[in-house]
Amino acid sequence: MKPPPFDYFAAHDLEEALEPLAEGGGDALVLAGGQTLLPLLAYRLAAPTLLVDINGVAALQGISRVGDGVRIGAMTRQATILRDPIIAAQTPGLAMAARFVGHTQTRARGTLGGSLSFAEPAAEFPATALALGARMEVRSRDGARTLEADEFFLGPYTTAMAPDEIMTSVTFPDWGPDARVVVHEVARRSGDFALVGLVMASRVEAGKVVRTAISWFGMGPTPLRSLQAEQAMTGQAVSDLDFAALAELAVADTDPPDDIQASAHYRRTVARRIFPRLARQTLEAVG
Amino acid sequence: MNDVPNATRFVGQRIPRKEDRRLLTGHGAFTDDVPIAGALEACFVRSPIAKGRIVRVDAAAARQMPGVHAIYTVADFEPLNAVVAAAGGQGVNQPRMGLLAIDDVRFVGDPVAIVVADNRYLAEDAANAVLVDYESEDAVVTIAQARVGAPAHRELDNNLGVGARSADDDPELDALFAKAAHVVSHTINHRRLTHAPMEGRAVASVPTGAGELTVYVSCQSPQQMARFISEAFNLPNANVRAIAKDVGGAFGQKISPGREELSVIAASLMLRRPVKWAEDRLESLTCAYTGREQEAHFKMAFDADARILGGHIELHSNVGAYPAGIHANALVTTLFPGPYRVARNGFKSEVWYSNTTGLAAYRGPWAMESLARETLLDVAARQIGIAPEEIRARNLITREDQPYRMCTGPVLDHVTPRETLALALKKIDVAAFREEQAEARKKGRYIGLGMAVYVEPTTMATAGVLSSETAYVRIEPTGKVIAMMSTHSQGHGTETTMAQVIADSLGVPFADVSVVEGDSSRGGFGAGAGGSRQAVLGGGSARLACQKLLEKLKLVAAHVMNSQPEFLEVADGKISVRGEPEVFQTVKQIAQIAYLTPSRMPPGLELGLESQARYRPDTPIIFSNASHACTVEVDVETGLVKILRWVAVEDCGAIINPSVVEGQIAGGVVQGIGEVLMEDMAYDDLGNPRAATFKDYLTPTIHDVPLIEYDHLETPAKNEGGFKGVGEGGAIIGPPTLVNAIADALAPFGVELTQIPLSPDYLLKLLEGRTPAHAG
Amino acid sequence: MSEHAIEVILNGRPVRARVESRRTLGDFLRRDAGQTGTHLACEHGVCGACTVIVDGEAVRSCLMLAVQADGRKVTTVEGLEASDGSLHRVQQAMQDAYALQCGYCTPGVVMTLAAALEANPKPTEPDLMEALSGHLCRCTGYQGMMKVAKRLAGGGE
Repeated sequence: MKPPPFDYFAAHDLEEALEPLAEGGGDALVLAGGQTLLPLLAYRLAAPTLLVDINGVAALQGISRVGDGVRIGAMTRQATILRDPIIAAQTPGLAMAARFVGHTQTRARGTLGGSLSFAEPAAEFPATALALGARMEVRSRDGARTLEADEFFLGPYTTAMAPDEIMTSVTFPDWGPDARVVVHEVARRSGDFALVGLVMASRVEAGKVVRTAISWFGMGPTPLRSLQAEQAMTGQAVSDLDFAALAELAVADTDPPDDIQASAHYRRTVARRIFPRLARQTLEAVG
Repeated sequence: MNDVPNATRFVGQRIPRKEDRRLLTGHGAFTDDVPIAGALEACFVRSPIAKGRIVRVDAAAARQMPGVHAIYTVADFEPLNAVVAAAGGQGVNQPRMGLLAIDDVRFVGDPVAIVVADNRYLAEDAANAVLVDYESEDAVVTIAQARVGAPAHRELDNNLGVGARSADDDPELDALFAKAAHVVSHTINHRRLTHAPMEGRAVASVPTGAGELTVYVSCQSPQQMARFISEAFNLPNANVRAIAKDVGGAFGQKISPGREELSVIAASLMLRRPVKWAEDRLESLTCAYTGREQEAHFKMAFDADARILGGHIELHSNVGAYPAGIHANALVTTLFPGPYRVARNGFKSEVWYSNTTGLAAYRGPWAMESLARETLLDVAARQIGIAPEEIRARNLITREDQPYRMCTGPVLDHVTPRETLALALKKIDVAAFREEQAEARKKGRYIGLGMAVYVEPTTMATAGVLSSETAYVRIEPTGKVIAMMSTHSQGHGTETTMAQVIADSLGVPFADVSVVEGDSSRGGFGAGAGGSRQAVLGGGSARLACQKLLEKLKLVAAHVMNSQPEFLEVADGKISVRGEPEVFQTVKQIAQIAYLTPSRMPPGLELGLESQARYRPDTPIIFSNASHACTVEVDVETGLVKILRWVAVEDCGAIINPSVVEGQIAGGVVQGIGEVLMEDMAYDDLGNPRAATFKDYLTPTIHDVPLIEYDHLETPAKNEGGFKGVGEGGAIIGPPTLVNAIADALAPFGVELTQIPLSPDYLLKLLEGRTPAHAG
Repeated sequence: MSEHAIEVILNGRPVRARVESRRTLGDFLRRDAGQTGTHLACEHGVCGACTVIVDGEAVRSCLMLAVQADGRKVTTVEGLEASDGSLHRVQQAMQDAYALQCGYCTPGVVMTLAAALEANPKPTEPDLMEALSGHLCRCTGYQGMMKVAKRLAGGGE
């Protein structure tokens, strides 16, 4: 379990990092926290010619309030997300998700941008980004662009980013002070990827759901929105909601895998069961 | 060692372990930690398919890669005339076996070639460049397939490795079942697990000088390793030195060298250079010996009062392609009656080969006897309508019954199944729990109580290599005591426990005793760890050696002190006349005389203070016993299980170090928790292992286990010191205790649990469509 | 494959070496720097045995390249013991609680707890338990480690 041979380049700024990616033709990979990439290399499931280490790129750090949300440098460590006061105040759902990500020792190096770029279907951050409507800013030598979360995750380990692009920051938009977020997962052991995971964000005004977003993880090839359920809830009085029926709708949009840890049937069953309680928890406490 | 609680008596005390300092400060000496100048590193080219012919191996390009010293297939090892075979007795259908694959591959991971390079990185680069063409064939993976499929081993007629049965016709047993008021049958389909020691297998083979070979090897007994290696390569035993100072867990996986260890040794002999191999986790999970996979069908006949009349167990084992040993696992049937009055028992056992990784002993390899019996008793209690503690109370043997000859042969004596169960149930408070359970059920919460009772055959004194151990104890001129033991620790703490026994036996300070293990050139022959017998045989041999040594010490001291040996006593390293502690000689003073001052020795007495003893108890099997109880909550929404409490009451005779004993129990119980809840070495239809990472092969974390509550009974057996073994019991009794608790929790749903592990997926499937009966 | 000159402050002393890009920090510590107390037990970041402290944080040394440790302070289990030979309080607590058996996973556990205490001298028991959840032990059933977490919580000795 030793990595295959590759070259290594530690970039000091973004331009330095983007150059070899542009030249690399897809054989150069970005080394962020390395907590997913290094296991892949150890199993020789990846064979890059070059690793471009972006840990030294200052422009990828930093957490700040921006016009409509909070902008988080892509190289922000998962451990930082857990304890950052701006994140706790502005986008607490992200901090809630971080609790489920790996372990203390991997959160010390693992990054937000790395997790999103890797797009593990059962990971917590991609689903959180999807539910909260995060915007990913990515850059290549040719320029920058912004990708919306709902166009970002294309398949297992596949995103809308080109091989020569680096994620520079992620902006989590404000959901307003009354917004409520719940992040929950069912996993066999702490720190494991979810068998079933759910992120739900909502705003309720005068007893009515004015906005909601539901995203599942571990329930399909990518994190998945439950648009049917969201539409069915929006504009409705919380007291009128039929949570069992909504659960059916919410699960209808999923496509869970069968694997060694659980069958697709298990995942659907559990998803259907946990949804009503979590939805209530999100909506009713808002009052 | 500044907090040793009692300066004159060490056995029975919670004494800090001598092993800990080096292990806590990073100075342990695990195989791959030993610096060896010029060592090359090996890795293996392994089969990606479960079964097929090797058409062609092309290593030409790989041999030219940087840092590569050699790439060998089995044909290259022919000059060594190595002998490799799985242990197996009469009636065994034994497959052909080579150090590496011969003409065909028989499981995914079967080693086809060994690559030796400057380091492991380069070795892996080259291994990936070795081109092997295979002609793939249909593999047999499951027991069902093995029964009807083509042979996993082409030279054999079928897949039955060995079969055994009590009798085709047993009218007496049939009659017991015929007259029974209740016949209760149950099935357990126990899937495969693996040992997953934190340190994988590891070997560093160092040819030194003419025909001499030093082998650092992660194992359970360096003496056994030296024996196996010397036999495999036909080397004089004295020329082979096996060293295993620290070993990162073994649990039965490291009793005998695997084909990989032997291939690394072969490569070092071919190259005449040191070669090392540290198994990585991918190899450890998918290619190292595995454990357990069994289907068991069993039944018991009960009379109208729920008293057991007779039993029968049928066992089918999948042992993979190349198991570490091939036998019918007769202990499962022997022990199926357990500590209960059972008049007659029948059995059938069939052992099947398949195109999967081979099986080896795993902590309590016969454990199905307890899992089967104890789960069956709970099923029976539910069917008959009595409490699980009641069905046990009606059938457990009493002190008055002992010695009790089991219908299967062994004699139970000095065991306390009733007493331990009573204590465990008191501690867990059954009545209070049942109230809590009834309340919980009303609220839709499902909590359950499980219990299990068993006897553990420790120290099988008729079982070949397991029957004895040896100790060579000497007092040096420094006054310090050195004991060369054939015991071995892979975490067992024998450096500490043996020193406790020796310090007490000689009357010297614990700190003055050093126990040397882990080097075949220093200790005498013995099996080391395996069969839960080191306390008994190591402790016994140490005591015998010390008794002889003490006699001589007193002889010399009496001569020096103008006294008689029978008037002397030794305590805290001082020899004094009984009743006159102020007049003494130190052990060191006497030792110096014994070695350095012949003129002061008693006339005719041999110089020195040295003694050796090999111990084998008179009793064929020394049984320890325990009763455990635990409580759980099953989340019926997700199928996840939370363990609430765990009580362990064991009786392993005289306890040498309670903390070490509790450590053995806890380790076994938690492996049992993993076994029941999550460990699953699954294969797909093609024979590919599906758990190749620690994200897929799940073992318990700190959040998955309770803090275990202990109670100890100490009923000595009739053997030297009264010690009994305790190494495997937790892993034997843990699983039925937990399964019974989960079954109890789910009793309102009317389901019985027939698969291990009880994955959340399995539990939800079982509960699907069922509604709980009204809580009574 | 590129090679890189690195200088690591290892247990307080500078260590210079040339390493291949792909060499993991764990292999560098064990093979190049002779610090074999750090054990590699899974090499894919799950088991925690290889945990070391890099610039004050407990990290998996199998999930970091040696070249990435250039210019950083790395502490391994060998660096915890005081110069007078007395054990670090984590080590002492581990011994007192019989928190180890075979000792293979132990160095990683010790480093995680040492880092936790360094970051917060008065950690809570759940904090320490959470940190310990990233370690697999196959011998002890974690019984001693749970006691250690309790003992070290709140800055207790």
